[in-house]
Amino acid sequence: MPTLTINGKEVMVAPGTNLIEAARAAGVEVPHYCYHPGLSIAGQCRLCMVDIEKTPRPTIACNTVAADGMVVSTETPRVLETRKSIMEFHLINHPLDCPVCDQAGECWLQIYYMQHGLYDPRMVDEKVRKPKAVPLGPHVILDAERCILCSRCVRFCDEVTGTGELGIFHRGDHSEIGLFPGRDLDNKYSGNVVDICPVGALTDRDFRFQVRVWYLDSTKSICPGCARGCNIEVHTSRRRPHHNEGRRVARLKPRFNADVNRWWICDDGRYGFGFVDDPTRLTRPIARDGATRVSGSPTYPGSPRASDALRLHTPTDRAGLSAPATKITWEEAIAAVVDALGRLDPAEMGIVASPRMANEDLFALKQVVEGRGLPPVGFRVPPRVPGDQDRLLIRADKNPNTRGAELIGLDGDVAAILAAARAGRIRLLWIFGHDLFQSAWPEAEVASALEAVDTLIWTGSNANPTSARAHWILPAAAWVEREGTFTNFQGRVQRFRQALEPLGEARPEWEILGLVLGALGAPVTASRAEHWFRALATAVPAFAGLTYQNLGDGGQPVRARALPAQLSLLGEASEGAVEAPSDV
Amino acid sequence: MSGERLLTRNFDRADSHTLKAYRETGGYAAWAHAQMMEPAAITEEVKRSNLRGLGGAGFPTGTKWSFIPKNHAGPVYLVINADEGEPGTFKDRYLLERDPHALIEGMLIAARAIRSDTAFVYIRGEYVHPWRRFSAAVQEAVEAGYLGRGLDVVVHRGAGAYICGEETGLISSLEGMKGWPKLKPPFPAIKGAFGQPTIVNNVETICHLPHIINRGAEWFAGLGTETQGGTRMYSVSGRVKRPGVYEASVAITLRQLIEDQAGGVTGNGRLKAVVPGGSSAAILRADEIDVTMDVDGLRNAGTMAGSAGVIVMDETVSIPEALMVVARFYDHESCGQCTPCRESTGWIHKMTRRIVEGRGRKEDLDTILDVSRRGVGTTICAFYDGAVGPYISYIEKFRDEFEALIPR
Amino acid sequence: MSTTRIAFSAEQLAEIRRLQALYPERRAALLPVLHMAQDTFGHVSLEVEEYVAGLFDLSPAHVHEVVTFYTLYFREPKGRHVVAVCHNLSCHLAGAPRILDHVKQRLSVEVGETTDDGRVTLLSVECLCACEHAPMMQVDDRYEFDLTPEKVDRILELLR
Repeated sequence: MPTLTINGKEVMVAPGTNLIEAARAAGVEVPHYCYHPGLSIAGQCRLCMVDIEKTPRPTIACNTVAADGMVVSTETPRVLETRKSIMEFHLINHPLDCPVCDQAGECWLQIYYMQHGLYDPRMVDEKVRKPKAVPLGPHVILDAERCILCSRCVRFCDEVTGTGELGIFHRGDHSEIGLFPGRDLDNKYSGNVVDICPVGALTDRDFRFQVRVWYLDSTKSICPGCARGCNIEVHTSRRRPHHNEGRRVARLKPRFNADVNRWWICDDGRYGFGFVDDPTRLTRPIARDGATRVSGSPTYPGSPRASDALRLHTPTDRAGLSAPATKITWEEAIAAVVDALGRLDPAEMGIVASPRMANEDLFALKQVVEGRGLPPVGFRVPPRVPGDQDRLLIRADKNPNTRGAELIGLDGDVAAILAAARAGRIRLLWIFGHDLFQSAWPEAEVASALEAVDTLIWTGSNANPTSARAHWILPAAAWVEREGTFTNFQGRVQRFRQALEPLGEARPEWEILGLVLGALGAPVTASRAEHWFRALATAVPAFAGLTYQNLGDGGQPVRARALPAQLSLLGEASEGAVEAPSDV
Repeated sequence: MSGERLLTRNFDRADSHTLKAYRETGGYAAWAHAQMMEPAAITEEVKRSNLRGLGGAGFPTGTKWSFIPKNHAGPVYLVINADEGEPGTFKDRYLLERDPHALIEGMLIAARAIRSDTAFVYIRGEYVHPWRRFSAAVQEAVEAGYLGRGLDVVVHRGAGAYICGEETGLISSLEGMKGWPKLKPPFPAIKGAFGQPTIVNNVETICHLPHIINRGAEWFAGLGTETQGGTRMYSVSGRVKRPGVYEASVAITLRQLIEDQAGGVTGNGRLKAVVPGGSSAAILRADEIDVTMDVDGLRNAGTMAGSAGVIVMDETVSIPEALMVVARFYDHESCGQCTPCRESTGWIHKMTRRIVEGRGRKEDLDTILDVSRRGVGTTICAFYDGAVGPYISYIEKFRDEFEALIPR
Repeated sequence: MSTTRIAFSAEQLAEIRRLQALYPERRAALLPVLHMAQDTFGHVSLEVEEYVAGLFDLSPAHVHEVVTFYTLYFREPKGRHVVAVCHNLSCHLAGAPRILDHVKQRLSVEVGETTDDGRVTLLSVECLCACEHAPMMQVDDRYEFDLTPEKVDRILELLR
């Protein structure tokens, strides 16, 4: 383990560590563009030069391996002058686009110029002109004049996705980033080149001109797009409703996690937040016509308030679909749901949980289920179109918490539940999140199951054809509007944090279920998701010992020994216990 | 000054490029001798001869060979740099066209010394006739059994890029990519072509090897100076009576070369300036030509021996115009890989053009000098160091001529 | 513009395989094969680039990088003859600008253009390393030395 001195501070690093990383370990930032820890060394930008004792000229830090006894200085007058020169070289042909460039505020030309440049520009000749505003595919747009030719994007497409779409054409100051003419940047990770581009050459089409980055807040979260659980940041624009067309979530960015996704996320995950501020959001509890409301406090099984006081008439024909909906209060909604739960035998109810629910939500549901005597509960709904999977990040299971639902013990047979509904044995269905019409099951069978039951309760964030048939809708907060945890396919439990307030009256599922438990006569003291997590960690061996604190920002694996045998989404035996992180 | 003609001795024979002519004049005798020498002994002999690289860098050849790791398990490659491109230089063209077997024999000797069984000869794409001549010679050598039994030679054409004359730019191009030079370390002798230890040598350097083996290191060293042995081929052009290739000791002076060998200055007959070592070498004034043309002699004079491309300018030459022509060259040939060179070669070309066209500003000269100095030492390869040779020296030594073009 | 499909003959493909095998990595044969493609198809069009990329298992973008980097690959159809006048230092000192102007005038083209009859493409290039015969130019595979306007006329006359 070499020990070296950086700016007078001694630090010991792993063999093979380059000087940029060694300096970081010593708390020193060496400015750079082309270096990226997830890509090969390019040594092109020349900004990371440092002084090394016994070396006559400054040397680039990225390509220099830390050696025992090395003495490195990153702030000598010569290094500072060299940095200033390199900044000037980078800006000679750079267009004065800051006022119209999305990168402003997070642009490394701006940042490093202010830190290391601050010279008087003396270039008065014509700058080189190159193509501007060139779409490179559905997600990325190129401004070739802004490009500093660091080649990060080229290396990303060669080394990470292996698709090689990008190249640097021509030579000299006419060098230009681009695609092969006529082709697209259409790999499934194209958005990552926007992250790694230090400047505004590659920017996000979705985000283009929407909101200035200094109006954004950042919250640590987890992508809910598949079972990988890539670590992300949610960037929200909370104080500028006139920007970004009023949408609160502006963009998602990957967050480094060495064990899950390293520096990357896939495009589906990156751009999969549209539903949060979509008009289909459900923001109020809803009762459809035919459902009778009751005033006063909710009843519970066995109470003297007879169930006749609350009658839920079920429309027996399809008119229920277009039956007007009435917004009701949470009090009324909970009362209705609890009443329905109280009047039926457990075997007459079916609950379809969602593997998109958080661990906390699922555990709270488990309490309700056990409190009512274990009606059939399941969560696996096979998708009509099987999900794609690759060797990088994308998992076929497009749900973030399948593993959590398995471990918490909600893994019943949903097909059987629906069959029982069609047969009239199940009279109440409570569905969380799913649109069963998107499942692999025939639409007619789904419709007949939904129509057969007397009471259909739906809980979720966005309206869909299944929720349209529900008698009672209890709106759930989107994942960015509350905190919680997901368990990824590797068994890693990861926290996602709250970035926004829930829209309208929407509430996290754990809170809804807490109200239900209270109305069922088993009041809960949990007022935060964390309280539910504590209870979960106590009750379910796989989560023993885990706390929000020790989950931190990188998550923790579940206790391996506690894992039951699992079935994959397709009903086949799965890979088994906690998997080694795939080669990202 | 010894009038030894080693490399150019057969140039006047019409059939000098044939195996027959080469053998008649003693060719392949050195190879026969070298085959009985240990590889290390060959390297030692070349070290003691003080042979230095004649492509531009002037690095001691034997020393470069000794960097090859001794116990390398895989292949070692010999790469011949026939990508002659330095403005003012044309000597390798003559060697390829008129004495290709000298190169082949030299390659056999070098390959034995570094234990290589595969050599690549990278010939610039524009050199079609030299390529055909050399390929024919290779064919003769294969048929005669010199090649194909211990050493395979692959002849590889370039496609038009000066930067492929830089040894790692050449390697990148040989590997099928753009001619982007590679980061050093690792150095090619450790990790070069296709990731293997590689020696890149200039054509002329290699052509000296048969003579060193035939007549010994001491003799060769004695032809030159204390620190550089032998003769070299000077490419003389510009405002001289007899432009052409002249072989002479490395100890010859620039004055002797211009006046005695090339017949003196034309134009208005009065010398103004000389580029001594290819366009990348700093220019010398007329009063600075009493320098020996060896590597150390020219380095001590503030310039470089480079590729020994001598371009003579009389008093009727406009130095600012010459600088613009040279700046255009570096702008056009910058590979673009690293920022300082890519951006400033274009910028400085624009500034020199503006000056020549009468739209210069008084700050421009100091800007060119300052930008040049700031870029030196910050680049991946020495292309930029070559570019600033003229940028700085033409302005420093002929500043008044530039200032005269700048409007008040 | 040719409408024939871009494809090498069986013999050529065998030659390409032979070339690829000469090197430790077959990608090294890319420049020679691009020369071969240019000789066969006239110039290196995008279609040719894609075709050659397929022969090497390279992404077309990386072949495009190579083709745009080097000056000897023509990306547009060129004339039956290519005349490349050197404009570097020694040739400049020997009067290259005047020779270039003379050629432009004779052919009625600007640098980079091809004559209307498809006969000649004119280029102005960097040092061809024949400075002892300045001013000079390259015509197809040959170097033409010691140019005068009269000699230029004689040379152009012979280009059909």
